[in-house]
Amino acid sequence: MDQEAAQLEKQHVHAVYESTASDFSALQSKAWPRVRQFLLEQRPGSLVADIGCGTGKYLKVNSQVHTLGCDYCGPLVEIARNRGCEVMVCDNLNLPFRDQGFDAVISIGVIHHFSTKQRRIRAIKEMARVLVPGGQLMIYVWAMEQKNRHFEKQDVLVPWNRALCSQLCSESSPSRTGRPCGHPCDPLCSDGGCSVCFKERRSSTRSHSVDCAPAGPGTCCASISKEGEEENGFYHAIGKSFRSWFFSRSLDESTLRKQTERARPMKNPEVWANSTVSVQPARHSRLGSDHQEPFSTREGSFDEEVFMETSPQSLGWLKVESTVTHFNGDCQRIVRRKGSGGFLGSDDAEDCEDAGHSGGGGPAARRTFRSVCASSPAGSGTDHAASVGEQQDTADPRVFMRYYHVFREGELCGLLKENVSDLHVVSSANDHGNWCVIAEKKVNRD
Amino acid sequence: MKLLTHNLLSSHVRGVGPRGFPLRLQATEVRINPVEFNPEFVARMIPKVEWAALLEAADTLHLVEVPQGPIQDYEHDENFLRKMHHVLLEVDVVEGTLQCPESGRLFPISRGIPNMLLNDEETES
Repeated sequence: MDQEAAQLEKQHVHAVYESTASDFSALQSKAWPRVRQFLLEQRPGSLVADIGCGTGKYLKVNSQVHTLGCDYCGPLVEIARNRGCEVMVCDNLNLPFRDQGFDAVISIGVIHHFSTKQRRIRAIKEMARVLVPGGQLMIYVWAMEQKNRHFEKQDVLVPWNRALCSQLCSESSPSRTGRPCGHPCDPLCSDGGCSVCFKERRSSTRSHSVDCAPAGPGTCCASISKEGEEENGFYHAIGKSFRSWFFSRSLDESTLRKQTERARPMKNPEVWANSTVSVQPARHSRLGSDHQEPFSTREGSFDEEVFMETSPQSLGWLKVESTVTHFNGDCQRIVRRKGSGGFLGSDDAEDCEDAGHSGGGGPAARRTFRSVCASSPAGSGTDHAASVGEQQDTADPRVFMRYYHVFREGELCGLLKENVSDLHVVSSANDHGNWCVIAEKKVNRD
Repeated sequence: MKLLTHNLLSSHVRGVGPRGFPLRLQATEVRINPVEFNPEFVARMIPKVEWAALLEAADTLHLVEVPQGPIQDYEHDENFLRKMHHVLLEVDVVEGTLQCPESGRLFPISRGIPNMLLNDEETES
């Protein structure tokens, strides 16, 4: 399962960051105030490691400490380097450091990219290993529970549309209508803006100076928790794309499921389609190609479309006939490995060929994710796949998808307490839709 | 890559453990980057330095005037601190390699960035 996990991360984390790294540099990103504070509180002369540093936005926060940035993504590290930071390329699961070298470690928006519990634990253990006794580790992960709502499931694929990213960068200040940005963006805006809503805008008239001094234009992360934020005119352009969020069964669950299924044979290809990738439907049957109402006229609707509403109106999960899109060019391919059962679940290899991860090689499996919607208005809760044909956006080669495991309240703390015995949780809080935990390495009492 | 960074790096090839430190440094391009001198900062770094590793690396780079170890009352010795400041923070290996002393595995340094990624076969599982 670890190989599947690595493969999932390769496709839905590393490949995406590598391909979109150049976009990051065009977007200013926010430095979370709590992280800044944590860094500024370190004693002068401390050695600090930023594991998953991206473009290095935290590396120069405190000039009195020596901060080393590490990231798996070469292109991001290059950007940080060009800014004058001391950085390296390495793997959180195998940190190339001697034991107990660092006074503090930060992990901001990183371990939610690991696709199994064991890998998340391993990442944390590695960071604990390189800490001096008494040293502190700060971890930020995306929370399942967002303001007033929560993700339907914990394992999420978040689309990133590169075209919209560059469009945003060139946009001048849009009109403001006061509607909250309110979408489930990556609150951590890891390295350059939200994956969904690029609220970053050089000419933004709204400053979020209360949050962070050097970060420039506020991010959607800041706005997600504020009422009456300026509307992101960006949404006019989104169309259907960002309503097609994908949720997946976690690899941990898949493994468990496979184990139980060995007792009974797999019946038909639909079984796995039903159980693995499912698409959160748009609440108001928006995914039909003939419904193109401007998004901006609806209050907070995007948010509702991907989050579980507490009202009984919410549609149930619709099953999707899942196929893999063959993207062109430098775009990411969502590939189901033959027989591996991987990320997309099943062991059924009948209607899928391994499209291959690189190059054009062999016949590519032409499979497309189909966004489905209920043909009836919101609230009908239909439970069958009503395909509306191939959606432009999901076949859009400019869409990348990043994998996240969003954390429930208490999950991160629990993970630490139960699995990492040399760390002791000092504090835990929800910060703008993220769980933020500070843990300290225990001192041996010999 | 600064020598302070090198001082923290260790190989994580499977089975190597603590014998992966220090990495053997080879450099084909080195630059000197002026960094603002902060004596208190440098003084606090001194206890964290693994001296043998530092001296080995400095020797490979043919650096001169490298203190052989902490001297008495080093916190107030500006001359000592300036030398350490230079060695730890201003010498920058732009191109080169880092070699695991146990397995021989080479890690490249390109454009000042060490790449410490291992293949699947090489990592501890």
